[in-house]
Amino acid sequence: MQKEMAYSFPDEVLKHVFTFIQSDEDRNAVSLVCKSWYEIERWCRRKVFIGNCYAVSPRMVIRRFPEVRSIELKGKPHFADFNLVPDGWGGYVLQWIAEMAGAYPWLGEIRLKRMVVTDESLELIAKSFKNFKVLVLFSCEGFSTDGLAAIAASCKNLRELDLRESEVDDLSGHWLAHFPETCTSLVSLNISCLGSDEVSFSALERLVDRCPNLRSLQLNRGVTLDKIANILRRAPQLVDFGTGNYAAELQPDVFSNLAGAFSSCKELKSLSGFWDVVPAYLPALYSICPRLTSLNLSYATIQSPDLIKLVSHCPRLQRLLVLDYVEDSGLEELASSCKDLQELRVFPSDPFGAEPNVSLTEQGLVAVSLGCPKLQSVLYFCRRMSNAALVTIAQNCPNLTCFRLCIIEPKTADYLTLEPLDAGFGAIVEHCKDLRRLSLSGLLTDHVFEYIGTYGKKLEMLSVAFAGDSDLGLHHVLSGCESLRKLEIRDCPFGDKALLANAAKLETMRSLWMSSCAVSFGACKLLGQKMPKLNVEVIDETEPPDSRPESYPVDKLYIYRSVAGPRFDMPPFVWSMDEAVKILH
Amino acid sequence: SDTWSRPLLKLGLYEDINVNSKKRGFDHGYLEDEFSAASFKNYEKGLVGWPPVETWRRKKLRCQVHNHMTAAENGYCGGRASNSTYVKVKMEGVVIARKIDISIHQSFETLTTTLMTMFDIFSHFPFIFGSVDENRRSFKLTYQDKEGDWLIAEDVPWR
Repeated sequence: MQKEMAYSFPDEVLKHVFTFIQSDEDRNAVSLVCKSWYEIERWCRRKVFIGNCYAVSPRMVIRRFPEVRSIELKGKPHFADFNLVPDGWGGYVLQWIAEMAGAYPWLGEIRLKRMVVTDESLELIAKSFKNFKVLVLFSCEGFSTDGLAAIAASCKNLRELDLRESEVDDLSGHWLAHFPETCTSLVSLNISCLGSDEVSFSALERLVDRCPNLRSLQLNRGVTLDKIANILRRAPQLVDFGTGNYAAELQPDVFSNLAGAFSSCKELKSLSGFWDVVPAYLPALYSICPRLTSLNLSYATIQSPDLIKLVSHCPRLQRLLVLDYVEDSGLEELASSCKDLQELRVFPSDPFGAEPNVSLTEQGLVAVSLGCPKLQSVLYFCRRMSNAALVTIAQNCPNLTCFRLCIIEPKTADYLTLEPLDAGFGAIVEHCKDLRRLSLSGLLTDHVFEYIGTYGKKLEMLSVAFAGDSDLGLHHVLSGCESLRKLEIRDCPFGDKALLANAAKLETMRSLWMSSCAVSFGACKLLGQKMPKLNVEVIDETEPPDSRPESYPVDKLYIYRSVAGPRFDMPPFVWSMDEAVKILH
Repeated sequence: SDTWSRPLLKLGLYEDINVNSKKRGFDHGYLEDEFSAASFKNYEKGLVGWPPVETWRRKKLRCQVHNHMTAAENGYCGGRASNSTYVKVKMEGVVIARKIDISIHQSFETLTTTLMTMFDIFSHFPFIFGSVDENRRSFKLTYQDKEGDWLIAEDVPWR
């Protein structure tokens, strides 16, 4: 009797229930219950996230999910951020846009990361989607202000235009004027990546004026300090603001105007920008500092005393991005003032200098770990570290989910004991049971990987450089880290054995990057043969890998799981190890 | 003009001008050592992408700060505009150099005044009294041309 009732549940009810299930993981789980749930779920999935644009084809996505309204795609591997992926590698979005233009007329949101976006793609978006609302181009390239003009002109209900960290070709500063007078829907606008000439300020002012729902605005460097007050007075409802240039001759009327404008923004919680900072203008922020939860000063070339003064006014700070000018003294102040701190990123002001230019050591991070019990996410560049400091940090912050440490000089040992930093990082993975992301640096042997394989059960992303002694290191990670999705390795003595022994593991991960390691061309071919569901790509800009003996190590290797088979847009310096692919170049 | 393309301006208090050579300039020997002594250990090793600072972040930072720069390295900054008007400025005795957009200034006076504010002149030189305007004349802008010679900025017409 009861069994019959369960099967007579109408589809509409199930569909309604599924709308409350938002997370991709849960949706995927739902679709695996039975065939009818799979069918119902796929028709009502509105949001798709594709972590690797080559893992699946547009056609496959469209076939399975016919009614998508929001899509997120990621292209190049993470190491592309550091110039390790040559130009022209791939990550083109055009084909996706072209296919979705036909299949998803109601597509409203496109979010892209590390993809190549052309003006043609932008024009196609502008033309094809009548209800287009959100465009996020995070770290993308290949387009110009002409493409932006098309988006501005055609997207009548645009809510979000976010170009953070993208490279845009400046052709004309007037693209912003293409937003029609009827466009009043903007909620978020991030043009911080544009240079000085690429925005017409008067058009920007008018746009801000007519968008009462604007909550997030990041200006570009071309907007000078004296203009900030004009903008803020037009948008006192802002929650998140990125200044442009923060430099000007100190004039009392400009200062008081600016201070007044900031104090009228009662909702402002997050600040960024601050190019060319003149310290004398920082006190203009003091009225809003008590409310600030996020502060990005990572371009602000101000010294520790000014940073200390500013930070001491921000007791509610949860997120701080700053240059190493903050020094240990600044971080000690942070530790005593900002008890709510969850995320800290300290960037190097002089990454290529041979000698330290600031007094920032492991002590600063230890102080923060001691004073900020809610610390979850750390990115820290420094020039020395000790196992003792790492153990202390691990014990103080068991809730860390992301720990990225970059000791600037490769293979730097513990400065106190001259030992490798295995024990220190071992303590991090052992104590921080929820650690999802880890970046290693310093002198490290295979032992650190043994710790990581043993304790890093929740680890999803691992970045390794200049570490390890042998294949055993890689084997520990691949065999031990159950949740591993992304592994990126450079300049480590890892070769064929660990890779081939753990080939099946690679199908459970999104991707593996290895450059300047010891994986032979022969092993790459073997992997490509054995594992049809993996795309094994060898990157070599100097000469074809088969012009050398099979035992010769490849320069760069990128392996990712895919149901789409080998890709068709590989440039001449990328070779697919898939047997089915004929070498066309 | 060509000599303006990415010059290195330097701000310094000085008393004497060496008028012996055709170009007016003066000896910055000790400062040149500071610049040329900079050794990019990692850069020399040919390590690409290390330390792992994002390319865009490095570009944005390079446009503002140069602690140890070789005289040969030209800063690139801003958008893709090839006619960048940003120049690096260093003041004697101050560790941190700054970058300034000279296109937003119309004269040496406003440029000097802005630089004096940017470098917080009054806290570095407590013996200076009076206003910025009054003291501006105590400072001389110098720039380094393509041949590496230090010249006085005011000798060249503004534009």
